[in-house]
Amino acid sequence: MLETRKRFHDELAALQAEVMAEGQLAERALGRSIEALVRKDKDLADRVIAEDDEVDDKYMDVERRVIDLLAMQTPVAGDLRLVSAIMHINMHLERVGDMAVNISKIAKATRELPTDPTVLSHVEEMADIARSMLLTSVDAFARRDLEAALALPRMDDPIDHLNRGMYREVVGLARDPRLLEWGVQMNMVARQLERVGDNAVDIGEQVAFLLTGEFREFTDASHPPSP
Amino acid sequence: MSGVEAVRQEALTDDLGSRRIEVHDLNAWFGSLQALRDVAVVAEPQAVTSIIGPSGCGKSTLIRCINRMHEEVLGARVSGKVLFDGQDIYAPDVDPVEVRRRIGMVFQRANPFPTMSVLDNAVAGLKMVGRLSRGELRRRSEQALRQAGLWDEVKDRLDEPGGKLSGGQQQRLCIARALAVEPEVLLMDEPASALDPASTLRIEELIQDLKTQFTVVLVTHNMQQAARVADWTLFMLYGQVVEFGPTRKIFTSPDDKRTEDYITGRFG
Repeated sequence: MLETRKRFHDELAALQAEVMAEGQLAERALGRSIEALVRKDKDLADRVIAEDDEVDDKYMDVERRVIDLLAMQTPVAGDLRLVSAIMHINMHLERVGDMAVNISKIAKATRELPTDPTVLSHVEEMADIARSMLLTSVDAFARRDLEAALALPRMDDPIDHLNRGMYREVVGLARDPRLLEWGVQMNMVARQLERVGDNAVDIGEQVAFLLTGEFREFTDASHPPSP
Repeated sequence: MSGVEAVRQEALTDDLGSRRIEVHDLNAWFGSLQALRDVAVVAEPQAVTSIIGPSGCGKSTLIRCINRMHEEVLGARVSGKVLFDGQDIYAPDVDPVEVRRRIGMVFQRANPFPTMSVLDNAVAGLKMVGRLSRGELRRRSEQALRQAGLWDEVKDRLDEPGGKLSGGQQQRLCIARALAVEPEVLLMDEPASALDPASTLRIEELIQDLKTQFTVVLVTHNMQQAARVADWTLFMLYGQVVEFGPTRKIFTSPDDKRTEDYITGRFG
């Protein structure tokens, strides 16, 4: 193979490694943000917020290098699909990093408030699933695993279910204004976790496109499947 | 459904189907060297069909078989069918000169007659086909130069020698010369490979214009050119068709790994 083309393919492999590292950072940030929330740990929350710069730097670096590849190497076929997948996955992971920051900010804002164990356990459950989905999606990308990518929408179902139930649980805390204030914030955390799940599903869609060459949405929010 | 069948199915609903080229089981030789093996392809009217593949894969031989120029080479042979307007152009009663009038060709290197005037160059082929009045030749020359997108640039220098035009203009002059005999199909063998980017872009835009009236078959080494201008793309290797399909499909998710490897620069 010609040297310039080899460098192109080496760069593609390097970008993929960069995106996977970004995925690990985002997943770690998400885990720590929930830990900060549960343990009311201000320092840990601050650390997540500060360390998001690493995710952002990776995002910017990958984005810039992808644009360079598009401009100078005009990738086609499988290479084009890989570049497209890297570009999309990069964006989804950066957003997950931002969601971890949002949760950390809520962790700091709710430190002085009382908590409800049921609501908190549901938030933790959602976070566990969201983190596992995130890892699955990035792993499916790394291993080119179509089956794992296709399994993501199913993994997302319990998150959606818990998120929908959260509103009612929070309304149930109305007897105590301070508990209600905390609950409203937890509803926002649930919303962030639900978005993490959606981003993981979107990453799965990119993996499927990379592998099959077919564009399709796994789930369609405007036409939800019948229960 | 194979690529060829898919094109044919689509063509069944097309009124301009008469300008379709259909190649079946085409084999071609230079002496004992076989250059094409069982090639099948369809070139649709009002569309650009590009042929890509590494040097020596048979691209040029294939289009030279489509207007019976291959047989002009000493020791060259052809078997199989090339249907144009439903008729086999290799049938015994077919006049190869008439085939070449209806199926014109433009070559890689612009080859105008260097000392002949721009005006006369454009109708050089037409003069050989029959006798026309000076006025009629002038009219047909202007028409061809307009079709080739050259008229505005040369209308004030029609008496200058063709060799004085720029490379890109010379190539469009050759396209005008091919168009003056009113062909129905235009075969283009690397028409822009010797031109600078601006002239290349002009030729590509011209191809887009020409396809509204002609069946265009384009051989190119420039894969981005194929991606930009072609509706259908044929990938050849060692004289055989590897894959034929819509250009979008070939350049986003080809079916054959050899196509993928070639267009992504993994070999060739």
